[in-house]
This record gives sequence, structure tokens and C-alpha cells, in this order.
Amino acid sequence: MMNTRRGSAASLGPIVGRLISLATAGAAENMAIDQAILDSVTRTGVPVLRFYQWAEPTLSLGYFQELAARAAHVQSDSICCVRRTTGGGAIVHDQELTYSVTIPVPPGSAGPRSVLYEQTHAAIAEALANFGAQAVPFRCTGLEPPSESRNSQFLCFQRRTAEDLIVSGYKVLGSAQRKSRTAVLQHGSLLLCTSLYAPQIPGVSDLLSRPLNVEQLVPQIVANLSEKLGVDWQLGTLSDEEVYDAEQIRRERFDSPLWTTRR
Amino acid sequence: MSRDESKLLYAESHEWVDLAEEDGKAVGTIGLSGFALEQLNDLVYMELPELGRELTAGEEFGEVESVKAVSPLYSPVSGKVVAVHEDLPESLEKLNDDPYEFGWIVKVEISGENSVESLLDHAAYQKQCAEAG
Repeated sequence: MMNTRRGSAASLGPIVGRLISLATAGAAENMAIDQAILDSVTRTGVPVLRFYQWAEPTLSLGYFQELAARAAHVQSDSICCVRRTTGGGAIVHDQELTYSVTIPVPPGSAGPRSVLYEQTHAAIAEALANFGAQAVPFRCTGLEPPSESRNSQFLCFQRRTAEDLIVSGYKVLGSAQRKSRTAVLQHGSLLLCTSLYAPQIPGVSDLLSRPLNVEQLVPQIVANLSEKLGVDWQLGTLSDEEVYDAEQIRRERFDSPLWTTRR
Repeated sequence: MSRDESKLLYAESHEWVDLAEEDGKAVGTIGLSGFALEQLNDLVYMELPELGRELTAGEEFGEVESVKAVSPLYSPVSGKVVAVHEDLPESLEKLNDDPYEFGWIVKVEISGENSVESLLDHAAYQKQCAEAG
């Protein structure tokens, strides 16, 4: 069944948040930084928006996916693999822009923050429109809801959920969440170009037949997300505590074979 | 017959606990409230704790996934896990229909005299849910 539950405005503000500039890191480091940010937002309540890319092509597994399911996608079997803490299907991170947005939530809030999916994706869709890409949430496409078997496919980009962004019939943006008691981390992948390791999935540039300039795109997403969430994103860096925590989390969790092979 | 939800205690994080005496020991049966299940919408995965694990009130004891969001489950009481509803992760579609009977997740042999004092009664929990919208 499709999730159609959507909340009202998700505005947090006016509030000041921290913006971490676009940077490239390894798979385990990227996931560890997002977790360290979730821990920090849980403590402080200050939202964080981050953009990143990947030092090498990487397959990330959804938290509950089995490692053995990789056999279903031979094109990506040679690239490194990391298990996320967020749900959903596997993603080949290669020619993409990745974002994470982490915000405080009231204690006692239950379930996914669907309104955060909705507003973040709207912010990205509006930015893409300035580059000529008409991206719409899957729920607005008029397409039939996917079957249960389709939404069990190995790759996230072959599944469809209500807020996924669709361009010319293809999914170009998917996101997933991890909740703590008082915060939620949402990260997502905007496909820019087809990867050699997932040749069946086009990116926005392929669909537009021209390159998408990430350096121009990111500030527009930031501005749109500022308006939608009521957050004044101030350029900042990771705190010393976040850097320390991320290093610990990287070593103990995301770089550990026990973590990757736990299912 | 299903448990009477008005007789249960609730954590702010939406787990219910049914306190009872079994073989002379205080045992809490724990599940997720109907309100939480409605908010979670379409659970697809659930991870349960191991039998025998010692839990502290407020500690994570499991996780669920819905709409690509992973959320922790928090134990409302302290004690040792003495039973686990092993069939539940394969039958999540039945949870919404019967969250208070079929939907039990674990049973905990309660330790510590004060571990239920911070829990909400049904009326207070209903108020919290109403305020959350």
C-alpha cells in the first residue's frame, strides 16, 4: 500500500541551522557523519543541512536489507558496500548529489516525518525546475501505485513511494529516514547521470540531455529549504565533538564487517 | 478477548505495558499503541531483542521500518526479556487490527520498584495523542 499520509507545514522557525558545504568522503565516513549529526541534533535541537558526494562508487544497503540480496544486481557487485541506518532499498552512489537534513522533532512524535519528505523534495523539485527539469512527486504523476513486488525490488530507484521525485517517468530522487527520540535524520540521493554500475537508471542530466551544475543547484536547494522549513541555514562546519563521534562511529560501525553482514 | 487498552500504562514514546503477576513475579507485556501504529503506517520490518536481554526503562529494545523510516522501540520498564513474540515480524500486517493482543512484542520480568512511575495512564496518554494531532 502506498503511503499517502502527509502532514501540514513542517516549519521549525524562525530558527538558525547549520549548513555543511558540499564535500566528498568515503562511504563509511559519509554514513558516520550523518549519524554523528543525528546524535548532535538529538542533544542540541539545532538543525543541520549537509551536501556530499562519494569518493568511490558505493552500494548502500537499506538498514533491514540482507547482504545476500546483492546477488540480484550483478552490475554493482564489484563496488564497495556500506549498510545505512535508514530504511528503503539499495542505492548505487556514483553520479549523484546526496543531501542530509536533520531536524529536531517533539518528544513522543511517532512514525516517519512524511512532511519532511514532502517539503525537502518540493525544495529540490523547485530548484530543478530552474534548470528545465519538471520533477513531480510520484503521488502526482497519475501513475498506478506500484505492486508489492515492485516495491520489494533490490534497488531503491526501481521502487516507488509517494514522495519520490519523478522526471519523464523515471525516479531521480529518493530519501529515507532514521529517527531518534527527539530528532530525525533524512538523507537522499539525487541522480545526476547514469552510473556504469546501475546502467538501467538514468539521472537528471541524461533526461535533460545536458549537464546539471551542482555548484549552482545546491544554493537554490538551500534557499528553498530555508523558506519551507523556516530555517536560516548559516554556513558552518562539523563541531569537534561531531568529528570525534563520527570517527568512532566509522570505526565501530560502518567500517565493521559485522555491521555490513549483520543481515 | 483483547486487552482493555484503558487499563494499560503507556510510555511517551507510545509503547504500552500490561502489568501482571506470573508465577509470583511482576511481568510487563509490551506492545505498540494503536495510535503509534496508525502514525507509522505500513510497517515492513521489525527487529526484536534476544531472550534474556536486560533492559533499562527508556532503552531501545527493537526497531521498526515504515515508509523508509527506521524508528527505535523503547522499553517502558526495566527488567529481563522473558518472552519474545517471534512470529510478529512475519505478520506485521495483522498488527493494526489487534495491537493490544496479537500485537504484544516482548514480556519483561520487571526489576526495580520504581520503574513504572513515569508511565502515563490511559487518560494522560490519550491527551498526549490528541495534542500530537
